[in-house]
Amino acid sequence: MTAAQWQIFITALLSAGLIAAVPLLLAALGETFAERAGLLNLGLEGMLLSGAFAGFYAALTTQSMVAGLAAGTTTGLLLGLLFGFLAISLRVDQVIIGLGITLVAEGSTGFLFRDFYGQRFPTLTFSTAKVAVPWLSDLPILGPALFNQQPLVYLAWLLVVGCAFLLKHTRFGLEVRAAGESPLAADAAGVNVAQTRYLAIMIGGVMAGLGGAFLSVGDLNFFVPGMTVGQGFIAIAIAMLGKWQPYRVFFGALLFGTLRSLSTGLQIIGLDLRPEFVLMLPYIGIIVALIILARRTQLPAALGLPYERDQR
Amino acid sequence: MPELARLRPFVPVLSSILAVAAAFLSGALFLWLTGKDPGQAYAILLSRGLGSTLGITETLIKMAPLLLVSAGLLIALKASVWNIGIDGQFLIGASLAGILAPRLAGGVPLAGVLLLCAGAAFIGGAVWGVVPAALKVRYGLNEIITTIMMNYVAIYLTSWLVKGPFSDPSVVAPQMPTIPPEFRLPFLPFTRIHIGLLVGLVAVLLTYLMFRYGATGLALTILGHSRKAALHAGLPVNRLVALALLLSAGMAGLAGANDVLGVKGLFQGEWNPMYGLTAFALVFLARLNGLLVIPFAYFFAFLLFGGEAMARTARIPAYFVPLLEGLMLLFFAISTYLERRYRRGLEP
Repeated sequence: MTAAQWQIFITALLSAGLIAAVPLLLAALGETFAERAGLLNLGLEGMLLSGAFAGFYAALTTQSMVAGLAAGTTTGLLLGLLFGFLAISLRVDQVIIGLGITLVAEGSTGFLFRDFYGQRFPTLTFSTAKVAVPWLSDLPILGPALFNQQPLVYLAWLLVVGCAFLLKHTRFGLEVRAAGESPLAADAAGVNVAQTRYLAIMIGGVMAGLGGAFLSVGDLNFFVPGMTVGQGFIAIAIAMLGKWQPYRVFFGALLFGTLRSLSTGLQIIGLDLRPEFVLMLPYIGIIVALIILARRTQLPAALGLPYERDQR
Repeated sequence: MPELARLRPFVPVLSSILAVAAAFLSGALFLWLTGKDPGQAYAILLSRGLGSTLGITETLIKMAPLLLVSAGLLIALKASVWNIGIDGQFLIGASLAGILAPRLAGGVPLAGVLLLCAGAAFIGGAVWGVVPAALKVRYGLNEIITTIMMNYVAIYLTSWLVKGPFSDPSVVAPQMPTIPPEFRLPFLPFTRIHIGLLVGLVAVLLTYLMFRYGATGLALTILGHSRKAALHAGLPVNRLVALALLLSAGMAGLAGANDVLGVKGLFQGEWNPMYGLTAFALVFLARLNGLLVIPFAYFFAFLLFGGEAMARTARIPAYFVPLLEGLMLLFFAISTYLERRYRRGLEP
């Protein structure tokens, strides 16, 4: 390959990877808050999928991208509240609720999709315009990939900065971390543990719903049942691998987003790998990354455990 | 509160039944909201599933894989090992049976074909559990994420196997060669139900006996309650974790062989019955009790068959069944909360 072809390949790969990374990034950022606060949300997969369906349905009905994103976000918020109610107020097993929410989401979105559209697979026709950042998008190789993207991609990057600031430099961030590390101490210091955890899981739900809506409305322009194929679970792993730090989570999401979009990139350079093996890569990648990086990862001490005031 | 106290032994079963009822009520609400007639839908479910010989036969056939995966999941959950990789382990076992059976048929007698396939499927499923088990034992990596990741690897691997090296070249659809009918699982006398049901029942009963009377069962139960207690008691914790995960994975593989050798007669591409989360709902509702798994397996098989009937005759998408199962998991969780309240109510 010539140098020019390599440039095109890298630009295309990075550009596609950045788009594919958005749902993973948003879901993993949301999960960062939830896990930091002591909640392991296995319902993330279901929240992504529900956000994708609600977003697709609203966008197709109203022909408005904003309506789609709003519908996805609202659905995520509602599921986050459901998870919060069961895990925080009723203090029942988080793994069971998470799997339950994911199963309900798979069943209900598949049901509604078949019920509304039968055997048809409608697509969204409005174009998701890219916005080029002046001057920066003219930079060689990286410019067109990084700075000629949909507005929502830029928003996702802003959210990384926002989440990092929120977690590290605000009272709320400290309360979240305290609620996950030592709810007892947090409570003694006057932190409302239940309220903090509710806020954290609401952030988790909103981000997952938005990420799902971006997947169907912003990226692919269609919905098929089960279309998230485990991205919610990958996002949980990315949050863990990134040690719950937004900037690391960003790079994790970018890595796995690129792996997800690799099949197109490999076709450009003419490498004919069986598609099944390319599709396998993100999942094998997560396992390998866990082996390399997460051996000594310290989980938040109270992750997965309910907090009961009267049991002090 | 003497009346309340007398209820105590029945509380677990009662709360499971309440959870199922609540799930059906919410399901009815969902149907009503989407403009369907819940009464008609549930009537079809009941009449097709219980009102005909065909329904009962089909339900008993569908029960076999559920019994096998549930027996395995029961072992894992008793030891607090979260094997969410059943779907992948099932597909590996199923594909191995689909590869081996057509090639062995004719060269080896029926019993040999069946035993070799079952053995390969069990080992294949267990091998699919080796990576998560090793990572948990060696590095303390949580098995939830790793078993889920292995599911997707299995989906794409078997999809390649069925399209690539082991595809049946005589048909367009991606599938492996068909197993000759005389080399499939034989029927139980006087029925159209294959012997997989018997294998499933034996697996569940052996699991029950292992936990009721066996030392290994007790060791797994102690580990499940408290890892610390197991360590203090000098139990080989790592070996027990691996045993629970591998047994559970092997049973899922065996269930895959059951469906290929008994029901489908071949391994088809894009086929994934996703028994994994179904088994979670089933085993939790059965309160991790081996004997209760049997009636609940019948009930879930009845749902699977009835769901297909509803999809055919009442235009209710078959996705209604996973929706119901998910609701059952959520209401089961709520019922554990109510139970806790009830037990506290009994305390002085």
